[in-house]
Amino acid sequence: MKIILLLGLLGSLLFSDSLDALLQEYKSTSDNSLQTVNEKIGHVVIYSQKEIRLMQYTKLNDILKELPLFNINTNQFGLTNYSLTGSKTTTSGFFRFFINDHEISSGYDQSTSLSWGDLPLDFVDHVEIYYGESSFSFGNETGIYFVRIYTKSALKENSSEINSWITSKGANSQSFTNSSSFENGWSYLMFINQEKVKETTIYNGQKLNSNGTKHYAYMDLSNETSKINIGYTDVSKNNYTGLAFDATPDSGKNLSKDFFINYTQYFLEDKSLKANLSVDVNDRSYEETNTQGIAVVPLITFSHYGPSGPKSYSEDLRFTKTNAYLSKSFDVEDNSFITALNVKNKTYDVQNRQSNTNSDIGRFSAFDEETISSLLFQDSYKLRDDLILVANTKLDYYDRNAYLKDSSETLLRFGAIYTPTENWGFKSFYTQTALAPSFYNVDYADTSKPKLKSQQYHFYTLEGVYTEGNSKFGITYDHVNIDDFIYLSPVGFINIDHTITSEGILFDYEYSLSDRDKIHLNYYTSSLSETINNSTKGGYIKYMGGYQKFDYFTSIIYRNGYDYEGLNIPDSFDMSLGVTYHVTKDLSYSIKANNILDRSTQSLYFTNLGTGFFALDDNDRSVTFSIRWVF
Amino acid sequence: MRVFILLLTLLSFLFAENYTFLVQPYSKEVELEAKIIAEIATASLHVKIKLFIPHMSEMEEKVYSKYFTLSPKCETANFVFVNKNVENEPLCDNANRLFFTNNYRKLLTNDKYFGALFWNKSRPNIVFIQKRLDEKAIALPKTFDQFVENF
Repeated sequence: MKIILLLGLLGSLLFSDSLDALLQEYKSTSDNSLQTVNEKIGHVVIYSQKEIRLMQYTKLNDILKELPLFNINTNQFGLTNYSLTGSKTTTSGFFRFFINDHEISSGYDQSTSLSWGDLPLDFVDHVEIYYGESSFSFGNETGIYFVRIYTKSALKENSSEINSWITSKGANSQSFTNSSSFENGWSYLMFINQEKVKETTIYNGQKLNSNGTKHYAYMDLSNETSKINIGYTDVSKNNYTGLAFDATPDSGKNLSKDFFINYTQYFLEDKSLKANLSVDVNDRSYEETNTQGIAVVPLITFSHYGPSGPKSYSEDLRFTKTNAYLSKSFDVEDNSFITALNVKNKTYDVQNRQSNTNSDIGRFSAFDEETISSLLFQDSYKLRDDLILVANTKLDYYDRNAYLKDSSETLLRFGAIYTPTENWGFKSFYTQTALAPSFYNVDYADTSKPKLKSQQYHFYTLEGVYTEGNSKFGITYDHVNIDDFIYLSPVGFINIDHTITSEGILFDYEYSLSDRDKIHLNYYTSSLSETINNSTKGGYIKYMGGYQKFDYFTSIIYRNGYDYEGLNIPDSFDMSLGVTYHVTKDLSYSIKANNILDRSTQSLYFTNLGTGFFALDDNDRSVTFSIRWVF
Repeated sequence: MRVFILLLTLLSFLFAENYTFLVQPYSKEVELEAKIIAEIATASLHVKIKLFIPHMSEMEEKVYSKYFTLSPKCETANFVFVNKNVENEPLCDNANRLFFTNNYRKLLTNDKYFGALFWNKSRPNIVFIQKRLDEKAIALPKTFDQFVENF
């Protein structure tokens, strides 16, 4: 009898379509953030709203630091910087970041570090990270990793929210979000944030810091067919090791202001015609003084006393990007086609550049304008119900005003998605893409070989996924060949004259203990044909869950140690744990302990143009306290 | 033992959210919206529901048709769910059909709607206006009382 009652109760829980239960399910489905995923772009990892909350991810880098086949370091300017496994790059062009439809990487070096790297997630609904070439679908500049940040929907928020956090190191942040929807179908979401950055470390008895202030503002104004996004950020911070020969500058500052406006309009009943226009303006200033000299590559002189550089240096630069995109999607029988045109114009204006010996240095090269015209075509063909074939091609034409020759690139991709049963899925892509040199690469090119070429990437990937009940198990294999890799040698950027090969395998396991509780394990190992100057293996274990008014999580992120130029970099185990207490549905307090074991990843730095090397920790041990109030 | 296995199976259904690849357009949110509207419509009207949604998308048509008989025109429907912005709303406004919206402001300003399903503070909500329920002689079950408001 008891069993029947129990079953009856369970049955009523399971099959009850009461409005309350349905509303609850509607909310938790929305929090799983699966509505925008596009499996045809590449291998995808989704950070849902639910996971962002449970894991207390407050900044974009909290997510990025656990990504497999990926390393996150601090660069010489104290900025977080992303590298492909095994290598450490100073600025990264492999990663394309988007806020909704807008690509936010810098017009100068294609990196997002300075302005957008530590983006607060208070106004973000979910993040999708694709390992694969995104420009085939979105017409943007090329890349390998593709991070799509989706902001919260005004239609779902319709409220105001205050978020604030403070760390035991004194860093703090305050955010305000407000959104509303109107009777006429329009809605808006606005977000403002201020953050105080406190990052200090000791090297050679001298304090290095990248302390500073950041501001972010964002506005989304949309209806069913139109979307206007406006973003602004400014960052003012000290320059850490800067460009000093001895890695300890007397003083220095980084300043950056970034503004963009992006307009998307859908046409036709099925919204299959899409037009997008955007403008970005980025003002960037840098100043440094150092009596031992500053390694501004184009200003370095060599004499029998050795190399020398200016003792003080400053620059004020302005970059603009204008982009126009038009796409049409259409279905013909079992084919889904997308065809698009994209034109992007980038300019680089030196407003001031001076050193202690020259008050008017001006441009380093005449290359200060580039127009990229692209033509895209995608066909995804449903061969059978369980097999989709994807083919892409993109033609890019780079029209440069001077110095580098105009060039064109043909990009290709073929892939298949095979789901023979509900439990098994396979996905594979072969991609051929190219990354063109940026203004920054050209400015800082090795003066003996200044004509940089595009980097050519050829890679193939294979992913297998098996699900059973509450478990999901995945393996991904990747093989990457890079020709003409652009590498920052101590005397400037060069094209590496041989093919670089990297191979990796990744294991992933998720187990859902309940709708709220989950264990996630990840491990990868990779090899690189070059001298390794970054981790090649890594993984994480994370557990997140909740009980009544509490949410909790713990995670440990592993990166392996390595030796480089006599330096021994130990294994890193970045462990954190945290608890959130929900006082009401609208008010919660959280506490999080970061890097508990004090085994942070480390980054390599060099002195005197690469004659000496040292390593510094990327993260401190700290405690963060935060509050969230919705009203 | 059998009961134990049955319980485990039922529990695994409860939590099984896993998928390999989402190759089909994701329809679960529309599915839940449709279920909620079906609950509301069947509780409000005691005849067979003929639903009309202006500018219905392909996915909505596919999902809603599992729960409703769809009406191609407003005039032949007895329940209209307005979940998009309709220019000038050239809808068949009369007493023969019920109007429901997904826009709270629309509900407040336009008397023809008797209720709304909308989002606020990241949570879905349902509101019925008592006065309009009375006017339209809609008798909702007791379990709906928490959603009824007097303005």
